[in-house]
Amino acid sequence: MSNETEKKVLTTNDLLKQYSNSIKTGLTNGTNYVNAFNQLNNTTEKEDLLAAAVKLTNYKLNTDFVVFPHQFSDEDVQLVFLERLLSLSGLEGGLQISNPEHVQKLLCKFTSLGDNTFTFTKSGKNPTGFFFGPTNYNRPLFYLNLQTKELLFHGSSLIDYFVVDLEGTDVIDLKAALGVLLKLAEILKESFGFKIDFNVLDGINGEFYEFAAGDIPESIMDELFVKSADQQFILMADQNGGASLTLDNDTKLQVYNRGSSDRPKWGAAIHDTNQTENWLYLLLDYPFIQEWYLDNKKQLEILSNQFIFG
Amino acid sequence: MDRKTEEDQFSQNDTVLSSALSQKMTYLNDLNESIIKGNDLKIYELIDPNRYATEAKGEELTEAKPDHYSLAADLNAQLSHHLSDKLITYLGKTYPFFYYHEYELGKFHIYFGNWWDHRMFGDLDPINVRFNFSEEEYNVLAQSFQLELENKRVNDDEMRQLGEENEKLTQLIGDQDKRDHQKETIRKQLKENEEKSPMPWEAGKVKEEHQRLNDALLELTNIDEQAANGRPKIKQNENKILALSKEETILNLEKQNIRASFGSFDAFNNNNDHLYANYLESLAEESQVSDGE
Repeated sequence: MSNETEKKVLTTNDLLKQYSNSIKTGLTNGTNYVNAFNQLNNTTEKEDLLAAAVKLTNYKLNTDFVVFPHQFSDEDVQLVFLERLLSLSGLEGGLQISNPEHVQKLLCKFTSLGDNTFTFTKSGKNPTGFFFGPTNYNRPLFYLNLQTKELLFHGSSLIDYFVVDLEGTDVIDLKAALGVLLKLAEILKESFGFKIDFNVLDGINGEFYEFAAGDIPESIMDELFVKSADQQFILMADQNGGASLTLDNDTKLQVYNRGSSDRPKWGAAIHDTNQTENWLYLLLDYPFIQEWYLDNKKQLEILSNQFIFG
Repeated sequence: MDRKTEEDQFSQNDTVLSSALSQKMTYLNDLNESIIKGNDLKIYELIDPNRYATEAKGEELTEAKPDHYSLAADLNAQLSHHLSDKLITYLGKTYPFFYYHEYELGKFHIYFGNWWDHRMFGDLDPINVRFNFSEEEYNVLAQSFQLELENKRVNDDEMRQLGEENEKLTQLIGDQDKRDHQKETIRKQLKENEEKSPMPWEAGKVKEEHQRLNDALLELTNIDEQAANGRPKIKQNENKILALSKEETILNLEKQNIRASFGSFDAFNNNNDHLYANYLESLAEESQVSDGE
């Protein structure tokens, strides 16, 4: 009641004052945005870079009184952040923003992957979460959340894209691009303590790549046995019904049940001297394993975080 | 019979009995001692002195040697377990592709290879130093060796037949559009046929044509049905082909391993036939070496 009374007695002077304050607030808001953007663009400190990106994500630049017609999107901020983070880590050019003249939907490219472009898409579930994927395919290769400091790779999408969609591309080139993604994840982990789910890109020995089916029929193992033997690799029987395959350079692939017979949890693990081989690289390096995986994809698909990607 | 002779006879009997019992005691003592000392060669001699003499020593016996094994026969399982230790070590070198699983005390399954889905190839009999191969498994392998000479494989015919069936089914499925077109044409012709109001002398011919068209349509629908059931059938055949390829892969590995160790299937068989003599010879050499030290 009293508020209404006050409004009624608003003078012209008050009105103008309010108006100019609102403009000023809007402009200050704009200035803050520009400052953060400059920081994103110019800082040489990784911490400041992350702070700027977090600040700019979901930044409400427009106010009732001041509207900015040209704005970078939140997706763009993520991409600029990654590109600059690589530069600051001495890895310029690993990822190039390919259309800087187009404000609002920046795309990027990997040197080794030609004209294929990639971009971010906002997650529908998490306001600060973004999916990174190829522009022409609706596949999230990874999920990035700078606010909660998380990066999660999506195993089956990575395989679908790098193994199936890009079939015919040199393995070296595919690995070069994947190497950039791996490097980024490592930098995020080491510089800021990000939680990373490397999924099929995890090269740590013994990392368990869990198959979607849980249980797998014996015929699938038979197929691996026959396909391996065709390439002069012998699939050996292991304890507990599992099997292992010794590949080139003493790289060892194991397929086994980590669960119980009642609640089977089949999956694969890789052991190699340098711990560089991961599930995706293995599929690229050994066409017969790739064929086996793709023939039985329904069962052998590697699970990713279902909450984030589901 | 006077009492004196009777007594003599009885006392003679005791002598015989006593001597026989002491022979048995000696036998059991010898066996026990051989086990304690780990003298498996001696154990084999005690288990079957006649085989030992003829096969291991190459002697020609004019009369059978006394055999007391029946005294220890109820300890077969324990003896077999004891003897398996050195025997399996020996076999590990000569037959590196065989693996053994003691599924019951002194009883061993033989597995050919340690690869995926290796075959259970029979039993090992340590008492008699003998492989008792499963007839079925052995015969398949023998057949595979035999067919190899003609550049053939055991499952070739069946695999070829399944492959051809799948090709045919794939073709049927692929030709669905073509058949759909044909059916459409026939249906049109049928309609035209039905709309005809023929002169009486033409009626028969028109009716005949109608029947012919109907038959053609029915045949195409039958093929459609085969095609519709084709996919599960193709999958089923693929599974069969996979099982057969697996068998071939296993046979290949078995043959490779036999060749790597023995050179040929004949040499492998020959070695199996002389396993007892060969093994005992190796035990004899071993004991000489250790005596010499």
